[in-house]
Amino acid sequence: MFDDIKTADMTYVGKKAGRPDMVEKLTGEAVFVSDMELPGMLHAQLKKSPHARARIKRIDASKAAAMPGVRAVVTGEELDYHIGLYIVDKFILAKGEVRHYGEAVAAVAAETLEQARAAVEAIEVEYEPLPPVLHHMDALKPDAPLVHPELGTYSYIEAVFTPKPGTNIANHTKLRKGDVDKGFEASEYIVEREYSCPSVQHVPMETHVAIVQWARGDRVSIWTSAQSPFTVRNLFCHAFGLPHINVRVQIPYVGGGFGGKAGIGIEPLCAVLSRKAGGKPVKFQASREEEFSLLPCRSALTYRIKTGVSADGRIQAQHMTMYWDSGAYADYAVNVTRASGFSASGPYEIPNAWVDAYTIYTNKPYGTAYRGFGHVEFHWAVERHMELIAQAIGMDPLEFRLRNALRPGSKTMTGETILPSTGNVVKCIEEAARMIGYGSLSADELRRQEKTGWKIGKGVAALQKAPAMPSFTATAVVLKMNEDGSVLVNLALTDYGQGTYASIRQIVAERLGFPIEKVKVAFENDTDRDPYDWQTVASKGLLLSGNAAILAAEDMLRNAYAVAAEALRANPRDLGHDGDRVFVKHHPASSVAFSAMAVGLAMPNGNGIGGPIIGVGRYIAQGLSNLDKNTGEGSPAIDWTYGAHGMIVEVNEATGEYRVLKVASVYDVGRAINPDIVRGQAIGGMIQGLGTAVCEGYIYDQQGRLLNPSFTDNKIPTAKDLPMEIECAVVETPQIDGPYGARGVGEHSMISVAPALGNAIQKATGAEIMHMPMRFEDVWRALTKKEPIDNWITKSPIGSCRSAPEARNRG
Amino acid sequence: MVYEFRYLAPRTATELATVLDDIKADGRILAGGTDLIPNIRNGVFKPRIVVDVKKFQGADRMAFGSEGLSMGPAVTINDVLRSKDARERYPSLCACAHELASHQVRNRATVAGNVVNASPCSDMAPALLCLGARAVIRSATGERVVPFANFFAGVKKTVLVPGEFLATIIIPAESAGAAGRYLKLKRIAGHDLGIVGVLMTRKDGELRFGVSSAAPTPVLVDTVGAKDDPDEAARKVLASVSPISDVRGTKEYREHMIGVYVRRLLSEVE
Repeated sequence: MFDDIKTADMTYVGKKAGRPDMVEKLTGEAVFVSDMELPGMLHAQLKKSPHARARIKRIDASKAAAMPGVRAVVTGEELDYHIGLYIVDKFILAKGEVRHYGEAVAAVAAETLEQARAAVEAIEVEYEPLPPVLHHMDALKPDAPLVHPELGTYSYIEAVFTPKPGTNIANHTKLRKGDVDKGFEASEYIVEREYSCPSVQHVPMETHVAIVQWARGDRVSIWTSAQSPFTVRNLFCHAFGLPHINVRVQIPYVGGGFGGKAGIGIEPLCAVLSRKAGGKPVKFQASREEEFSLLPCRSALTYRIKTGVSADGRIQAQHMTMYWDSGAYADYAVNVTRASGFSASGPYEIPNAWVDAYTIYTNKPYGTAYRGFGHVEFHWAVERHMELIAQAIGMDPLEFRLRNALRPGSKTMTGETILPSTGNVVKCIEEAARMIGYGSLSADELRRQEKTGWKIGKGVAALQKAPAMPSFTATAVVLKMNEDGSVLVNLALTDYGQGTYASIRQIVAERLGFPIEKVKVAFENDTDRDPYDWQTVASKGLLLSGNAAILAAEDMLRNAYAVAAEALRANPRDLGHDGDRVFVKHHPASSVAFSAMAVGLAMPNGNGIGGPIIGVGRYIAQGLSNLDKNTGEGSPAIDWTYGAHGMIVEVNEATGEYRVLKVASVYDVGRAINPDIVRGQAIGGMIQGLGTAVCEGYIYDQQGRLLNPSFTDNKIPTAKDLPMEIECAVVETPQIDGPYGARGVGEHSMISVAPALGNAIQKATGAEIMHMPMRFEDVWRALTKKEPIDNWITKSPIGSCRSAPEARNRG
Repeated sequence: MVYEFRYLAPRTATELATVLDDIKADGRILAGGTDLIPNIRNGVFKPRIVVDVKKFQGADRMAFGSEGLSMGPAVTINDVLRSKDARERYPSLCACAHELASHQVRNRATVAGNVVNASPCSDMAPALLCLGARAVIRSATGERVVPFANFFAGVKKTVLVPGEFLATIIIPAESAGAAGRYLKLKRIAGHDLGIVGVLMTRKDGELRFGVSSAAPTPVLVDTVGAKDDPDEAARKVLASVSPISDVRGTKEYREHMIGVYVRRLLSEVE
């Protein structure tokens, strides 16, 4: 969909354009599901497990059921629905056994929230606690308890995933390229290290919330704070065996998702309560604490990388083993594993590669999509590893990166050839380095260092990501012309804060040639009214829906031209248009207004022609294929967005405290449709990345109870934690099949922030940190060569963040 | 609303004392509510009655007199920060107040509540300890005065017994003008509980250290002499605390940081 038009020659694309949701959100007028109440609505509350793993011996809900206002009580025993997208492994409520701390075992719907709370307290549950398997490395031991003994009976997408029944491995993704043994033989140096990061929480401002009404005739209405209306509907219908026509999903404004609201969530739970309560609508809103342990988080990762490098600093071979901790359910984590597996090297050429990526069940809150879809976690490892290799072989880390970066002609690990149009990671790295004055300290910086006594260091880290989605992912956009010639845009891609609708509006206005004020993108999504979109995930929204929007605009013009041609008795080829009318190019006075044609044109004699003008655009990902299950070869990526961060940090060597002085971020976005939104994504994601780099992470005790399920001890950055200087820039290598050359950047800003920080800290002080987050204490421990603390699983025997540095010169 | 309780707001201190005497252990005292309300929401406390100590005549009184600075139980942290008397006479009180939570929380949170709550990581306690403040404790049967050095009894425990309330905090006039600085190690630059916090005050050659988040209670150390070298000072402070390892940090790091802070404060507080 790329047309080689300079931004200067366009009216809206590439220009400043406000967000259509700005006023509603800033004034508080925007209505979220949290705000909604329906007549007769009941409130749901949940009974949750205090154990990480236990057999449910008995649930007595009789007292609760008899309490005032209680209209429905549901336990897992009476439900038999499995829910899932990639691997269908989760019950709506725990059945027989609880598999993680905070898992729901029973639910109540009552007339008031207070009544529901009181009733939940009256539910008696008798547990037989069982030994949990907590650390994902422990879960691989032959005698580890099985989290899902029935794994062999679950349905899953067989073309893509490989579960190992009889183990805790929910999926094993393999990739084999070239001959790693030969590659290591040819290497001058071999560096092997292990990196890790804990689970973290998405922390959307609006917690998960849904209202569901299961009405007579099994007609179900769902209002939910979710990312993907059609996937909610599809998975819901699969779970309950309902025809799709019976189920309607509506999504009003959404207060953030970050991946945590992908797929399906609490909707089935509200549905079974509504059904049992005779069809009254039931609302459930998660508390912040429930957000941490009932709802999914981001998976923890242990990543071991062994790299062989030639004497001149070229990577010859790389052996990569990823251990992903899915927690108790792996529905989404298996796809995080797959998407990370084929991208596991980062934006570098690895001639001989061997990847094993495992998704491992444990008795902990479960993982799901989170901005970056695994790439934040494994880039932490890859980009720290690049730094440590460079150090081990005595080369500057920037030079080492540039020497191995993907360039036109390089082959990715899945065998895809990089083209000049694929994007330019080299330029991103160089720009980020330039923006921080990489390689030396300025006179100002030297003076500052002198004055504070804190050591200043600079680091860079690169990144890549392609959308992780089915090879046949599709979307559609429908344009409807209003009576006054203005245009309404309908699509089911959800704008939950990222700003895609602003860009879609610009694209539609640009392609129609209409003033942007005449284009409205309808915010609330509705499966009964909007055309299909798979999911709002993967940074694929702008590319796919932007293309569909272009096609829809062209279709709308074609339809309008057909009416005008008939009305003006002209050949459509001889027509032109402006924002108001279609005219005959060689007789501009001969014209017909869009407003006259919008809902059907009345001829002077009263005859009607045409009909309401609409435009339809459909787009499906092109040329992608499933990866070979044994070699990982194939075409998984519709586009690769590359980027890099440069980071300047100052560190107090006596305490491990540090401050980020500057972050410079550069992305090859192909074309910035809306530069302000690119900048918003760049800054927002960078800060989210910094939060996980600096302080975020789940901490458990030895029984698997989450010790920090709230903001008391799970801190996230505030405005005070902003770096002192932020600089963002774009590189624009047009994506040939992107709308106006654009590619996605929603997730990328969060990737590689942590390693850029880790690299800068190392440059400043020599501290070698291999696990996230880098709390001040972690920096101090690294500086004083003390054992790293591992309280992600307190005192677990194999739960150490310990790594095994091993750089040996084979010569 | 997620939990029902009876709410009482006595209009005089005498009435408050009577009410508290009546209900004894059945009730909870509400000041700013920044701890009580989350605890009720989370089911930690289930009081039948909540008694507001902010509504009686004089509860919000903050005045500097011959005795010193006296503060009623409704005086908020931001009241302290806005007070000219506090800023000019007791800069270390303000230094601690400024480190407590966020501006929004400081609008609600009270000085009295912060110390009655007796959290080991209280930010106001180091100031009250170092400045030699006294607690005027009232009940139906009378009044007693306890120096804050004897006020804290254990984790989240004070010497207050059911029926009593902290009526006034008095910071003596002779502490006015003490120089001081509070160093608090946090996980983020925004509002956070301390990993450790150390206040040092210096007046007329006398040094005092108030340490938070390093022992079951906030700790006062007044054994450091003006001539002690930094290492000796750090050793003395560390001898008075007993940090633990928890989700915020290890014992080892806390001890290290207390030492760093003591040394830094000795050189910085003139």
